[in-house]
Amino acid sequence: MMKTTTEILKEIRPEFDFSASNDFLADGMLDSFDMVTLVAALDKNYGISIRGTDILPENFQNLQTIETLLRNSGAKI
Amino acid sequence: MSPVKTVGEVFDAIQQAKAGASDFRTNFFPVSAKLQGWIDHGELVSDVLEKTAFFFRRDRDFRHFYFCAPSLPALQDSLAAISALKTERIVTDLIGNETALAELFASLENAGFRRYLKLQRMARTGPGDALNSEAVDVQVGFAEKSDSQAISRLLENIFDHFGEQIPALYEVEEAAANRQILIVNRDGLLAGLLFFETQGFASAVRFWAVGKRFHAAGIGSALMRHYLRAHSEVRRFTLWVKAGNQNAIQKYGHYGYAADGLVDHVLANEMIR
Repeated sequence: MMKTTTEILKEIRPEFDFSASNDFLADGMLDSFDMVTLVAALDKNYGISIRGTDILPENFQNLQTIETLLRNSGAKI
Repeated sequence: MSPVKTVGEVFDAIQQAKAGASDFRTNFFPVSAKLQGWIDHGELVSDVLEKTAFFFRRDRDFRHFYFCAPSLPALQDSLAAISALKTERIVTDLIGNETALAELFASLENAGFRRYLKLQRMARTGPGDALNSEAVDVQVGFAEKSDSQAISRLLENIFDHFGEQIPALYEVEEAAANRQILIVNRDGLLAGLLFFETQGFASAVRFWAVGKRFHAAGIGSALMRHYLRAHSEVRRFTLWVKAGNQNAIQKYGHYGYAADGLVDHVLANEMIR
């Protein structure tokens, strides 16, 4: 069953409430290493391949920017 | 190699390596503020071969080496063409999960690097103030700029400058000004310190050290408890520790830290013995 982005984020960092943040990076909820893990999890969950050029901090800032990235990468959400 | 003059140059070179990359490989995860400091102090130079970007950061009598390559073969080809790897003292880091690093190891070992040190990351989740208090008669306070020389000396005495990224004096001064260093003084001397970086709900201990003659006096414990209690809003605490240092690992474990699976293999080239 397909997971939501929030569920994937929660699996990576269960200690944080991602719905309460507008900037995951500034709030210290995700670091560079987490982004690599997140990209792999999103690719697998949505059956896509996020381009290397799209792995930019601004695309992982909050739930909205991640969903925009997923749509631009061909995910059906 | 040419000196890096702006932070934008770095990100442009990384983007160039990423563009159309089939299998992007890097050990460079730069933060703008740190990059700016390195650039301001003339520490960073770069080289681009084909689409592979290399960065060298001067640190005391050696350089840190970073790469951003569009693929593993591109990295291997470019490594062979960098003469500095054979003539200068250079260290590099490979960070990730152990199994994911095997191919990069082989490439760097072919280029003349050998394993020098292994660090492991430990993490602690939950609020810092969840610790039970212990009455310890130790006065902990923030370092001031005037403490920076003593702090640098203590760090140099205790940590490995090739492997553990000891900050330059200017970085210590900045950290003291930003209230990122807790200290304990005894008999007019710096007895111990805890150097940390906090961002939002996450905080990392960079260094936790007590001078030899002040061991077993509750100073390390007082520093860690003060640090954790002062970060009640933080939900994730991390640090890096030498993988074989069971004594330190046990101490961190006592405060709720546990290995989270991420490792940092520090490699050194043949010029470092």
